[in-house]
Amino acid sequence: MGALSIRNVKKSFGNTHILKGIDLEIEKGQFLILVGPSGCGKSTLLNMIAGLDDITSGEIAIGDRVVNKLSPKDRDIAMVFQSYALYPNMTVRKNIAFGLDIRKVPKPEQEEIIARVAKTLQIEHLLDRKPMQLSGGQRQRVAMGRALARNPTLFLFDEPLSNLDAKLRVEMRSEIKLLHQRLGTTIVYVTHDQIEAMTLGDRIAVMKDGEVRQFGSPQQIYDAPADLYVAGFIGSPSMNFIPVQLHEEDGHAVVELDNGRAVQKVRLSPISDSQRDFVGKQVVLGIRPEQLTDPESAHSERGNLQTLQATVAITEPTGPDTLVTVTFNGIKTVARCHPRAAGAPGQQVELTLDPTKALLFDPASEKRLA
Amino acid sequence: MTASRQGAPGFSLSRLADVILPKLVLAPTVLACLVGFYVFIGWTAWLSFTESRMLPRYEWAGLVQYVELFGNDRWWGAMQNLGVFGGLFILVSLTLGLLMAVLLDQKIRFEGAIRTLYLYPMALSFIVTGTAWKWILNPGLGLEKLAHDWGFTGVTFDWIINPDFAIYTVVIAGVWQSSGFVMALFLAGLRGVDDSIIKAAQMDGASLPTIYTRIIIPSLRPVFLSAFMILAHIAVKSFDLVMALTGGGPGFATDLPSIFMYQHGFTRGQLGLGAASAMMMLFTACAVVMPLLYSELRRERRG
Repeated sequence: MGALSIRNVKKSFGNTHILKGIDLEIEKGQFLILVGPSGCGKSTLLNMIAGLDDITSGEIAIGDRVVNKLSPKDRDIAMVFQSYALYPNMTVRKNIAFGLDIRKVPKPEQEEIIARVAKTLQIEHLLDRKPMQLSGGQRQRVAMGRALARNPTLFLFDEPLSNLDAKLRVEMRSEIKLLHQRLGTTIVYVTHDQIEAMTLGDRIAVMKDGEVRQFGSPQQIYDAPADLYVAGFIGSPSMNFIPVQLHEEDGHAVVELDNGRAVQKVRLSPISDSQRDFVGKQVVLGIRPEQLTDPESAHSERGNLQTLQATVAITEPTGPDTLVTVTFNGIKTVARCHPRAAGAPGQQVELTLDPTKALLFDPASEKRLA
Repeated sequence: MTASRQGAPGFSLSRLADVILPKLVLAPTVLACLVGFYVFIGWTAWLSFTESRMLPRYEWAGLVQYVELFGNDRWWGAMQNLGVFGGLFILVSLTLGLLMAVLLDQKIRFEGAIRTLYLYPMALSFIVTGTAWKWILNPGLGLEKLAHDWGFTGVTFDWIINPDFAIYTVVIAGVWQSSGFVMALFLAGLRGVDDSIIKAAQMDGASLPTIYTRIIIPSLRPVFLSAFMILAHIAVKSFDLVMALTGGGPGFATDLPSIFMYQHGFTRGQLGLGAASAMMMLFTACAVVMPLLYSELRRERRG
């Protein structure tokens, strides 16, 4: 049995269904990310795990205990909030000690725990300050310290980094990751930021409209997204979706790309059974920008790279790479090129496409054709 | 703004609008404040050092009026009444206001209606409050008669005509008028508390009463201070409420310094003594408010 099991959990307010049957399970020590746009129900699910929201139906188990009926304090969990939720009238020391005090932990032991937590998070010099006197990053540390002090079986993070500025967010992100590696605790982490999701998670649940669209490891979700939504949500810049007609040649899937001057045939991977059903029909070709690049940057060890000609519309230098926008089948398509090979608007460039990474989707059901 | 000033040195319409107009608009208010507060405080202070009786006289007479005031039993009675009334009025209003605010903060139905209802007394003048409560508390007319009419003939509630208890009726009327307002102050403060703080405390294992007593109410410190200041100045300057409710009686049982001042200054022809008592009221108010303001300002500066 896993550290956290969510079985067919639903949440409704009258006829409004917020969560429509969620099933998730993670092992002890795993870092679970709930990611999705606002209003997808991820925070509601977290609140239900925490016991701050009622469960309409289904079951949530922490360890091997079903916690549906338990109050938050009996679930052996700790939570870090987006607004930090530090007690404004107490010093940092008292903030950390509050939960221990309520649980009647003896004073000397409290001191020991505070010292340990403060050392872990490097907030020793802040212990006698009030939250008002701390910066955003420091408050974030204290909020994590308060959660760590209780040493719970499950940590919940509710968008903990979204109130920080960009630089600090990256810093705190790697610190959270380090903390997780060192302490080996089980974490459920809610975010709307796909980069946070990819960098932190062992397991990611991509949610939309109260449903889990895909649940898997970051690499699975990146390489084999279940549907168009997941494919477009994860990755930045996001995946290109080009409408194409599917053909079959010598057992390979073949599509045609029109760059405005000529139509070029692109030979993809060997065709699968589910793809064969779509031969002769319209499908959506999904290519990530880094898999559409200049010949020099392409990994040349794979022999079957496909070469394409295209006209540059816009170039956007990011430093290490330049994002080159071209047009295929009337759709703006972004390629990630080496700055030297980026060309200029109006110029013809040669691009290579890795056919093993190209994905096909059913435009009607939006599912990936595996 | 700076550009226009540099571009047009000397007289110009925009300069007039920028520099002189605000001062012109504010001048009457500033003048009224200066005269209304400080000139009259100064005048009263001066009169308190003279032997003025019916009409002001301006010959210096030293501390005679203060000596007479400190030897006056009625003055000390009034001060004692102010202590009892002010202390109880502030304490009960704060407690009741906070309690109502906490109860109203529990996401109940009809909150808007209830809040308005509790605030209504504040819309009345103290004269109306005093008169209404005079009738309610009148044994032959109000609550006692009602109880008797219902058959509870043993009930006696005659505080308003009992010299030992009359001051408490002033407290009752004052609390009725002001606790709703205090509630509104506290409610605003409670609404400012981040919801997730309560959630965090719940997860820390704290019960709702503990959350209120250890986290939320302590963080309302500035609201306590504001409420205390407002209530304290209402108590010290309280005059119309007592005049309407008991007229300072029975006897001098509900006499307050403000009534003492009014009667000596304006009806008994003892202007000097009235002025001296007015100055003593000013000092009392300062003695209460100044240390509080000072400590709060110092806290803020320390950050």
